[in-house]
Amino acid sequence: MAEVVRGVIAATGADVLVVSDASSDATVQMASRAGATVIELPCQLGAWGATQTGMRYAQRRGYGRVLTLDADGQHHPQELPALLDEQHRSGANVVIGTFAERLSVAKRLAWRYFHLLTGIGVQDFTSGLRVYDRRAVRTLASRQASLLDYQDLGVLMLLRKNGLTLHELPTVMSPRRQGGSRVFSSWRMVARYMLHTTVLCFAQIGTRRRVAVHAARGGARS
Amino acid sequence: MTAQITSGIIAVLLAGAILYLVRRDHLHGSYALWWLAVAGAILLLGVFPPVIDWLGRLTGINYAPILPITIGIGMILLRMLKMDIDRSRRERQIRRLAQKLAILEQEIIEARHAHADAGEPPAAPAPAGLPRIAGRR
Repeated sequence: MAEVVRGVIAATGADVLVVSDASSDATVQMASRAGATVIELPCQLGAWGATQTGMRYAQRRGYGRVLTLDADGQHHPQELPALLDEQHRSGANVVIGTFAERLSVAKRLAWRYFHLLTGIGVQDFTSGLRVYDRRAVRTLASRQASLLDYQDLGVLMLLRKNGLTLHELPTVMSPRRQGGSRVFSSWRMVARYMLHTTVLCFAQIGTRRRVAVHAARGGARS
Repeated sequence: MTAQITSGIIAVLLAGAILYLVRRDHLHGSYALWWLAVAGAILLLGVFPPVIDWLGRLTGINYAPILPITIGIGMILLRMLKMDIDRSRRERQIRRLAQKLAILEQEIIEARHAHADAGEPPAAPAPAGLPRIAGRR
């Protein structure tokens, strides 16, 4: 954890915020000592609830861009400058760091399915490595985003509904060092997730608006 | 004992229980009104079952007793839907409140640190109005 915080500071020079989802271990102290600002939630709000806390913090402080990444060490801090540059260059409201090689068969199938349902052409829709600009942050900090549960399709659909543009950049990543995916952990969880997200998709029908998702070619660095 | 007396007793007991609970003032505004209406309907239908037959003739339903059951279940479903909507609204509020609380807590801690760093020498007395409490970290 401390390693991730130090890595991000070294790579980007940005202010780092760690949101602790009511965790009881030494995460808070470690992150704080490594130079991060720490916000501790009083009760567990889940992955998206914690992320949105960061969005609201950024909006309150007037930050122009927000970069989110998982704190479990699977995202390389060296990748971050490329992601930020890509956002600047493309002018997209959101840039998603995609991990094409990681995608399992199940995930590819899920992607096909959701692509069919929503028309969103993002490949790795569960990637937590994303850059949001000010407009995207304002949308995601709002009340309408408060009942989402994961930083995935629901977030993307909300962004699209508000006319924001999405952009993908292939990146490399390492396997998770601690913990597994919260979503793709067991078949029961997957089934629940698929059902939940399908319902979410149906709730969005009628608000569909085609937004070009340009996949950046040759942008991957290792 | 006739059927009318049986249904009358049940209706009076149910309506009485509802009235008692509503009168104890545990219910918020519109909920109390809703339950009072329910108690009234139960009393009417239970004490005067012929009303049901009359309603059946009015609506053209052959087997009249099914009418209050159908309407009742429909009302229960609607009520449950309303409850889930309310719960979702509350969940949204709770999440946002928890987030705001956490953000404000962080700001308080930061303000205290800034205050401590802004530098009166360690021996200086705590400024009036703002008790100096050591930050948690």
